[in-house]
Amino acid sequence: MVDKTRCTGCHQCELWCGTEISSASKELAKAIHETPQPVPRVYVEGKQFALQCRHCENAPCLEACPNGTMRRDPETGLVYVHDPTCIACWMCVMACPFGIINPSSSMKVAIKCDRCRNMGYPICAEVCPTQAIRLEERKDYRIKAF
Amino acid sequence: MEFIQKKTADTSVEHFLSKAAESEIPLVWDRYEGQLPECGFCETGLSCRDCLQGPCISHPFRDSNKTGICGKERDILAVQSLLRLVLKGTITYLDRVSDLAKGIESKEIKPKNKTKTDQWLKEAQSLLQGDGTGFKKEFPRPLIRRWEEMGISPEGIARDLFKAFQKFEGGITDAEETLLWSFKSSLLGCIAHWLYGRLKRSAFGEPAPTRIEVNLGVLKKESPNLLLCGHFSPVLKRKIAEAAEKNGVHVSVVCSDPLLPPFHFPVATNYGSQEIPCMTGAVDLIVVGDQWVNPSLMRVAKEFEVSILSTEGLKRERNPGRFAGKIVDQTKKSFDFRRHIPRDVPGGTEVAMMGFSGGSICAKKILGAVHKGQIRGIVVFCGSNNVKYTQDQEITILAQEFLKNDILCIAKGETSVALAKYGFLNPLSREKYCGRDLSAVLSSLGEETPSVLDVGGGEDGAVIDLFLEMVKIGKKDLKELPIVGCYPEANRSSEVTEAMWTVAMGVPTYFWPALPVTGSSKAMEGLSKFSEEKFGAKLHIMTEKKIDARAKAKLILEAITGKGGYGFSGKPWK
Repeated sequence: MVDKTRCTGCHQCELWCGTEISSASKELAKAIHETPQPVPRVYVEGKQFALQCRHCENAPCLEACPNGTMRRDPETGLVYVHDPTCIACWMCVMACPFGIINPSSSMKVAIKCDRCRNMGYPICAEVCPTQAIRLEERKDYRIKAF
Repeated sequence: MEFIQKKTADTSVEHFLSKAAESEIPLVWDRYEGQLPECGFCETGLSCRDCLQGPCISHPFRDSNKTGICGKERDILAVQSLLRLVLKGTITYLDRVSDLAKGIESKEIKPKNKTKTDQWLKEAQSLLQGDGTGFKKEFPRPLIRRWEEMGISPEGIARDLFKAFQKFEGGITDAEETLLWSFKSSLLGCIAHWLYGRLKRSAFGEPAPTRIEVNLGVLKKESPNLLLCGHFSPVLKRKIAEAAEKNGVHVSVVCSDPLLPPFHFPVATNYGSQEIPCMTGAVDLIVVGDQWVNPSLMRVAKEFEVSILSTEGLKRERNPGRFAGKIVDQTKKSFDFRRHIPRDVPGGTEVAMMGFSGGSICAKKILGAVHKGQIRGIVVFCGSNNVKYTQDQEITILAQEFLKNDILCIAKGETSVALAKYGFLNPLSREKYCGRDLSAVLSSLGEETPSVLDVGGGEDGAVIDLFLEMVKIGKKDLKELPIVGCYPEANRSSEVTEAMWTVAMGVPTYFWPALPVTGSSKAMEGLSKFSEEKFGAKLHIMTEKKIDARAKAKLILEAITGKGGYGFSGKPWK
């Protein structure tokens, strides 16, 4: 969940996502100087709102992917990119209605948020100073305006 | 994100942590954890708030906002973050010397040495109002020449500080030159600090090694306790001491110089635990300056019904004698009002020998021992406490490692207090901590010499005097001597300034935590490779957060002794 009234646009989620998920060193002071530049999976652009993958029930990226690189984890329902098979055709990038898939020219794979499926808790939610990004189970999201 | 594993190494402070938790009083460690994660852009120096178009950041992982709105690039942002800290630090030293000069000019105290006081007073006025170039007579000529060649020799407040501040307002100064401006302004701080020491010693007298009690046990259960916290004018401090002595009020200090001849004050605790003396219930009144005082003191003081008086208010009493009288009277009244509050003072204090400055440090004997190989090197401890580390743990481990390897340790100000709490400044513990050779050298300096030599309060400038003395006696540049500066727990901007001038004087310095320059490789290079070329010394900044204190000690030991057993110059000492 991202609460837009709480987001201050501080970019901390981007910074920590880039360091923890994408960098080789996992340490901010070193990650800054890494090449290729680490790519965060969450975006704060223009407005004060952190944008990351919604893991849609009917995910257009899954449909668009020609070779099954884009996959859904059957246990958690999270959508992720299976890096080794990505052919960098960017069909998913075009299909995503939220524009959250990054066609990484340096790494030649589609990069997207997998909600830290290999970690206990998403790093963006952990570091968010105002708790604008939270991880919680919600059944009423269609009813309550957010 | 680093949550705290252990808050302090001091058992008497630990006693109050559970008490604070029970009464829900947030202490510095709780507030630190509340702040986590700290802003990564500010931590690495990649943020800027210098104009109202911002605030800006340089995003390390995105190309669209790599530079600020005005076009400041990553390197400039990082170096300017350093410059900002240095300037803030320099002003603290200038403020101290201006306070002291004003106090002495008011003729409230009779100077110990009238001629010398007048001479240094003139120098101080020249520094504050003119070009302040009088220091050139006292500093080593090659050093001054090196500074002048680079254009960083101090030229007074208007030429140094005003100009350096303009770097934030615009211009096309590159990273290297901005770094040189940081060095230039730090040197102005250096001169102010050194002048302060000279002025204080000529007006109040040379401090001799003095036996001082340290730790919370110094607070008295049965008599009124006045606590002096942070820096304020020594003239007022002297007046307070005089009035307190007459009225039977016990005065102790925190983050303040314990030596003010003819008086000396017991030290209640050090920077990291400055809220704790209040929690004993035994403090009746606190007098605070601005520097080194945490605003959180107000909250704890309110909880324990302790009054706080600031010496820096706009409407404060201008006459120090009258102000001191009021302070002491109020302490006595407060003691009577506060009788219902239980006084929980942990027993046990440590004895510390402090004030080995000037002649009593015997620079000649020390240098002789270095040349004979009895002492393998000299480490000067500076800094205070930083909540990012277990209070006092780093410095005590480092001191232990150095002492047993025959490295002479010199400490000042807050680091002396930190070490004193664990007996490093007690002459009786010399044999316990020091290696055989070092112990022999220290005992030759005097029977009462402890394992770590304290050169006086953090405000004194005694380290600079020691450096100058060593150059004079050794007839060598500082960069050729096996001396290093070490900041195991740095905190305030004045320490950043101090580290910068130490490097500019040619003494390699190890600094923890990392300064906000780690976001730019050019800035990091500037403090290492560039500084090495220019001054013969580096400011070592380490980005690793999980480095053990013993590993730090090993790193410094290797640098001092060198791979082949030689020091920084690569030449044998013997």
